Amino acid sequence: MDGVRRLSLHDHVCWVYEDIADVRKRIVDFLADGLALGQRVCYVTESAAPPGELPRLLDGLGGVDDALREGALQIQSLAHRYTGFTGVGPADQVAAYAAATREALAAGYTGFRVAAEATGLVREPEQRASFARYEHLVDRYMTREPFAALCAYDRRVLGPEATAQIACMHPMSSPDAAPFRLHAVRDAAFAVDGELDRAGQALFAGALAGADPEPAGGELLVDATGLHFIDHRSLLQLAELAERRRATLTLRTALRSVPRLIDILGLTSIRAELTS
Amino acid sequence: MRSGTAAGHEGYYHEAALYGSDDEFLSVVVPFLEDGLAAGEPTLAAFAPHNEALVRGALPGGGRGITFLAGSEQYRNPATSIKRYRDTVARHVAEGAAQVRITGDVPHPGTGTPWDWWARYEAAANHAFADLPLWGLCPYDTRTAPAAVLADVERTHPHLATPGGARHANSAYEDPVTFLAGHEPAFADPVEGQNPDVALGAPTAQSARRAVAEAGARTRLSRGEIDDLVLAVSEVVSNGIRHGVPPVELRLWTAPDRVVVTVTDRGKGPGDPLAGLVPARPDSAEGGLGLWIAHQLCSYVTLHRSGTGTFTVRLVAGQPSAPLVSGQRG
Repeated sequence: MDGVRRLSLHDHVCWVYEDIADVRKRIVDFLADGLALGQRVCYVTESAAPPGELPRLLDGLGGVDDALREGALQIQSLAHRYTGFTGVGPADQVAAYAAATREALAAGYTGFRVAAEATGLVREPEQRASFARYEHLVDRYMTREPFAALCAYDRRVLGPEATAQIACMHPMSSPDAAPFRLHAVRDAAFAVDGELDRAGQALFAGALAGADPEPAGGELLVDATGLHFIDHRSLLQLAELAERRRATLTLRTALRSVPRLIDILGLTSIRAELTS
Repeated sequence: MRSGTAAGHEGYYHEAALYGSDDEFLSVVVPFLEDGLAAGEPTLAAFAPHNEALVRGALPGGGRGITFLAGSEQYRNPATSIKRYRDTVARHVAEGAAQVRITGDVPHPGTGTPWDWWARYEAAANHAFADLPLWGLCPYDTRTAPAAVLADVERTHPHLATPGGARHANSAYEDPVTFLAGHEPAFADPVEGQNPDVALGAPTAQSARRAVAEAGARTRLSRGEIDDLVLAVSEVVSNGIRHGVPPVELRLWTAPDRVVVTVTDRGKGPGDPLAGLVPARPDSAEGGLGLWIAHQLCSYVTLHRSGTGTFTVRLVAGQPSAPLVSGQRG
């Protein structure tokens, strides 16, 4: 995606940046759209500026002081919003956003929207594994409730591999942030878009572990209608997931190569549901 | 107990027969099939239409009891052929067969198909079927098969049958590993004489896929053929990056009815002479199944090791050019 304008009440975007000024412009756009949609919006910042100066970071938004006074806009420091994040676990953090969304709805807003500068949460590898799980759980929540989020990560701090680990758990991301995206959808165990090949093999293993989908009646439906390529190793990763969960995995895809590969490899735990 | 000449033989009994007329063809093939039926052995024939008609005409009941496979389907490519025959024979053995007999027309330039990968097939079959109680009879028509093909046939079959009914061990047979190690395909597509349409130095699998998809769209190839080539090239480039020695180079040529891609690295290529024709062991350090998959997705694949220390995989989608004389070094 090229920008963050005109997204819906539910959207979940990862933006990998190298220029904090540029990403803050996008955050302003994203929050302005939320306000226009009637959502309560929240800006979580890593800025070290004194609390009284934080509203100035959103100068482009217009009416910041009024929105803050009315409660339509909240500004929090990263440390405050994610207090004890690594201690409380991914599900608790999702519960916190669910509570904020319910509060916003109760106060008459159409939902809740957060833009978070979150680099500081994922500096360490173990933090990223936990965060991948959190991103997927919150993504599932977003498919059902009017909660939207923009998560911004600094590539200069984290490096391309670490940002890809996080970006690939979002349904939308900045250009070239990740070769594929594994995300939640309402009518399947998960969806995967983009391209899956050898170069993304380790990334895909981490994404599958983060999603950790639960079979329903021995079935795992994967929406791969947005997948443009899959190699044999990635298909074997999905087959292994199905076998580990004692499930049959159905890959809904337009790729004719998927049934060809299933046939050549003699895979029995996975089948293709071809779309036109 | 196995019937016929293969009685007492363990594993694969691989036999060639060179014939120069339809009568000579029938004099070898008909007794092979009739004896199989008489012994109650599963008996299969995978011929091109002309030879199948000859056989059906010469057998009582048009060959009732024999399983006829369409030769063009069975011999679509060597890797698929090995897999299908293995599966078929294993199934019959599981059902109690003491021996399975199979005869068929292996394609060659005389029948419009390039030969090199079928030469590798004939050699590799000695390994790939080694554990199976299979008697395979490979008749070759000396009227159509080029001399280079017949020379390879002699080097890859441990047993020979002659039109008079004689059968004997073949003194010209070479160990398959020796044969395959020395096998350097002479094949190059005529379009390779031109400048390539695309040349990529150090491609990623993704950039290689883009190039193939874009080039394929400019040909008459079907969407399915292009998708298969995209997958095959992606697998081979991934192998080159992972297991080869840099730099990996991709070159691509198009003709209206085909796309030819070569992927070259500075390594020696897989050490396993059967690579591509049979699935690699899952723990193989030289790559998994990519080359074997490519052999099943493309209409032609050749492997080349140059004297200057490069390894090249050539992949063709569409109608491969089939030079009438396809040679082999050594």
